[in-house]
Amino acid sequence: MTSQDAAAGGPHSDTPDRAGEPPSFDTSVAHPARVYDYLLGGKDNYEADREAAEEIIAIGPSVLPTVRANRAFLRRAVQYLAGEAGIRQFLDIGTGLPTADNTHEVAQAIAPESRIVYVDNDPIVLAHARALLTSTPEGATHYVEANAQDTASILRKAAETLDFSQPVAVMLLMVLQYIPDSADPHQIVSALMDAVPPGSYLTMSDTTRDIDTEQMTTAAARYNARLGPNRFTPRTREEIAGFFDGLDLVDPGLVPLPQWRALANPAKPIPAYAGIGRKP
Amino acid sequence: MSAGHDREFPAEGPKAGSAVVRMMLGAQLRRFREAAEITPEAAAWRIRAHRSKISRLENGRIGFKGRDVSDLLEFYGVTDPQIAAGMLELAGQANAQAWWAKYGDILPSWFEPYLGLEASAQRIRTFDLQFVHGLLQTEAYARAVTMIGLRRAAASEIDRRVSVRMRRQKLLTAADPPRVWSILDEAALRRPVGSPAVMREQLRRLTEVAALPDVTLQIVPFHAGAHDGAGGSFTVLRFAEPDVPDVVYIEQLAGAQYLEKPADADRYLDVINRLSATALNPDHTIGFLTGMINDM
Repeated sequence: MTSQDAAAGGPHSDTPDRAGEPPSFDTSVAHPARVYDYLLGGKDNYEADREAAEEIIAIGPSVLPTVRANRAFLRRAVQYLAGEAGIRQFLDIGTGLPTADNTHEVAQAIAPESRIVYVDNDPIVLAHARALLTSTPEGATHYVEANAQDTASILRKAAETLDFSQPVAVMLLMVLQYIPDSADPHQIVSALMDAVPPGSYLTMSDTTRDIDTEQMTTAAARYNARLGPNRFTPRTREEIAGFFDGLDLVDPGLVPLPQWRALANPAKPIPAYAGIGRKP
Repeated sequence: MSAGHDREFPAEGPKAGSAVVRMMLGAQLRRFREAAEITPEAAAWRIRAHRSKISRLENGRIGFKGRDVSDLLEFYGVTDPQIAAGMLELAGQANAQAWWAKYGDILPSWFEPYLGLEASAQRIRTFDLQFVHGLLQTEAYARAVTMIGLRRAAASEIDRRVSVRMRRQKLLTAADPPRVWSILDEAALRRPVGSPAVMREQLRRLTEVAALPDVTLQIVPFHAGAHDGAGGSFTVLRFAEPDVPDVVYIEQLAGAQYLEKPADADRYLDVINRLSATALNPDHTIGFLTGMINDM
C-alpha cells in the first residue's frame, strides 16, 4: 500500500480525496457563515463580509443581540436534547464557522458518547470543522459537504455515522432563512423528518419579518444585494410554525428566540423565533 | 475591526501575552494620536525619536518606556490620570522579560517579535512548503535546518539556536496550549533533511504531534497539483482578544514581514483557507505519514 492509497479514504470520509479539486468559493461576495462569524465577533471573515455585516448593523442593530441569542439558544436546545430528552445523535445542518459552544461540545459535555454529523456546503467551513471540531474518544463527529436542499445525499452520508433506527435531533438553526420558497424549504424538513424514527426532534430557529417589518425588509434587500447566490428570506411566525407540521412542539412552543427556556428576557424584542418539535 | 469590540464582548481567556499587550497598548496610543490630529513625525519629535519608532510602538513591535508613554499621552492631550495609570501598568506588563531575552545575541532583531506573538497566540496556522514548521521539528532536524543557513557558525551558536527552537515547543504541552494547525506541502516531507534517519525520526514525530488534541496536521499531496500556496511559507497568528487582528508572518532570508492590515492579512487568510480545503482531511494525515515511513 503506498502512502497515497493510505490517504485516499476510509470509513469516515465523505469526500475521500478532494485533493486536486480547487475549492470553489468566492470571497468577493458576502457569505452567510462568514457574516455570522463577523457578527459574533469572530475573525474568519473578509472585507465583503464585514461590509455586508456593517450595512445590516446600520439598518437594524438588533442583528447583534440576535446572533448571540441564537448561539445561546443552540446551547440551551442541545442541553435539553442531550439532557432531558436523552438524545445521543445530532444532525446539525448549516454548521457555520466554529465558535464557542459548538453542538458536539455541548452534547458531549452531557453525554460523551454523543455522535454528531455536521453538514455545510462551504468548503472553508468544513475545513475548519474537520480541523477544530473534534470529538471525545467515546463519541464521534463527522462532516458532510452538501447543500441543505440535497437531503438524499445528507441522509446517505450521515448514515455512516448515525443509526437512523434510533432517535436523531435534526438541527436547522438560522438555515431555512437562506432557502427561498422557490427552493421548497418544507420539502427539506419533511424529507429529513421522514428519515428519522418517532422520538426524534426538529430544532430550528429563523429570522422573522413580523417584528420591525419595514426595517427587516430593507435589511434583507440590502443583504441580498451583497450575498452572491444565497438568498436571505425572513418569514412570518405562521410560516415558520408550518415547518413543525406533524410534530409535537416541546414546551414552551415556537417562541421569540431568547424566550425558549431562558432565564431572563432581553430588554428589546429579537426578530427571530425558535422551537423544538418531537416526532410522535 | 471585529464587530465584537465595543459591543459587550469581554476579552476572556488567559491573561494576554506581552506581545499582545504591546499591540493593544500601541493601538490605543494610535487612537489617541489620531484623535488629537497629531502626525507621527510630530509625536516622534516629542519623544526625541525617529518617525519609524512611532510606527513600531503603535504596531506593538517594541517595548514601551514609561516616560515615552507619559510624554505621548500628555502631548495627545490625554489628561485623565486613570487612563495614564492604566496605560503605564500595561506598559509594565508588556515589558516583562521573556525567556528568549537571554538569547538576544543570536536572535535576529526581526525574529524576536515573532516569538512574542507565537507565545501569545490562541491559534497558529501555518503553511510550509519546504521544511516542517519549527514548532514540530525534532532536535536533529532542527539542527540540520539551522546549519544550512549558518555553515560558518560556531558549534555553540548552532546549539543555542536549536535550543531556542526546542524551548518554543513547550507551547504544545503547556496547560492551555494554542491550537496549532499546520498545513504541509508533501515536498517538505519528501525532501530529505539531514539524513534518512533524521527524516524518519521527523516523520515519526509528526505522527505523534498529529495525534495531540490541540494540533491539526494536513498534507497537501503532490497529486493536488499546483495550489494556492505558490507564494511560499507563512504563518497566520490569531489572538483571543477581539480587538487584536491576525498577524501574518512571512520569513525572508535577511528579515521578515509582519502583516496585520485587513487588506493584506485577508489575502493570506484566503490562501491558507483554500489550502486547508485542498489538503487531505486531517484524519488522513497519520496514514499518509505511516505510508511514507514504511516506504523508506
